Amino acid sequence: MSPRETVRSVIRRNLFSENQVIRQILGICSSLAVTNLLSNSLVMGLGLTFTTALSSLTLSALRNWIPHRIRMIVQTLVIAAYVIFVDIFLKANLPEISKALGPYVGLIITNCIIMGRAEAFAQKNPPLLSLLDGLFAGLGYTGVLLAIAFIREFLGFGTLFGYPVNVVGFETWTVMVMPPSAFFLIGVMIWIASARMAAKKGVKKA
Amino acid sequence: MSGGGGRGPVYTILFILVLSAVFAAALAGANALYRPRIEANRELAEKRDLLYVFGMDTGGTPGEVAARFDASVRKDTLGDLEVYARLDGAGVVEAYAVPFVGAGLWGTIRGYLGVSQDLQAVRGVVFTSHSETPGLGGRIDELAYKEQFRGLSLAGGARLAYGEGDLDAITGATSTSNAVLRILNDLVENTLSGLEVVP
Repeated sequence: MSPRETVRSVIRRNLFSENQVIRQILGICSSLAVTNLLSNSLVMGLGLTFTTALSSLTLSALRNWIPHRIRMIVQTLVIAAYVIFVDIFLKANLPEISKALGPYVGLIITNCIIMGRAEAFAQKNPPLLSLLDGLFAGLGYTGVLLAIAFIREFLGFGTLFGYPVNVVGFETWTVMVMPPSAFFLIGVMIWIASARMAAKKGVKKA
Repeated sequence: MSGGGGRGPVYTILFILVLSAVFAAALAGANALYRPRIEANRELAEKRDLLYVFGMDTGGTPGEVAARFDASVRKDTLGDLEVYARLDGAGVVEAYAVPFVGAGLWGTIRGYLGVSQDLQAVRGVVFTSHSETPGLGGRIDELAYKEQFRGLSLAGGARLAYGEGDLDAITGATSTSNAVLRILNDLVENTLSGLEVVP
């Protein structure tokens, strides 16, 4: 991570070069669990993006007052508060999706991405830049989830966002509905991303 | 590191107390604000589920659903069970919705079994909460599965079984399918079969 961060570098880093899921290998559990339907992945991604952005903003704004030795307790408290708010909001306004996501919304609290951003970025950068950092870390995560969910929902159910698109009538893949398929898909994505990063570095050296 | 690192324990304790109080107050506020809506959502979903078990129309606005529900469904008891009863046009009990709880493959499955007033036939089944795999065991929520239960006979000690009366399990979700039948048959055997029904 460069010592001086700009808005551009924060966006590029979080969406691509240091993508939380496929470069930092964080937030894997939820990427396995909710990605068999695009709609669930989208809501999960937006919930995480909201939480990461606002918790980074809050923790950065408070960074000069937070006693260093209890900073993790403070981070957890702030993150938990936003996650509970997301949970209440979904229950009240999107009850169907809240039911489908079940316990996973509450588990956003334990998603390593949020605390990772708080520790790595928000505690030593100004609030607005931290807000952007959290926002784009979440959007990078959402992008990966949607990419996996696209493949899984298409092959597993023959639908996209619930709309049937299986016009040729192929046999749907039961394994794509199960969590292990996300494991394979994420593995392939990590492989491609790592190979591309390695190739880029090689070119620069030459 | 700048910040409160060098400050004493009193500051630390005060800081966390104030922060906790602020966030707890904000969440309590949000909760109070949304509580009525969450409650209304839950009640509406429950009413739709019960209308479905009785084979009635579940569509329409929340007001229409509530009106239809209030017109023909009321709370009742069956033995010492709390159930819902469906009334026919003349106000006579025509069927019951009996709640069930049991272990699915991954977690607890809850729902209602609809039975005729004489307890001799299944009217319908609905699952109000479960944590089965979406797309596999989760398909017990699909109409294609639930509709199969309508009209199955419980007369003469008959039990529910796949392959009988056109009842099919879900492909790829054998454990969940079997769990559902076990829960329903337990309910029939242990609870319903011991009841004396007054016609």
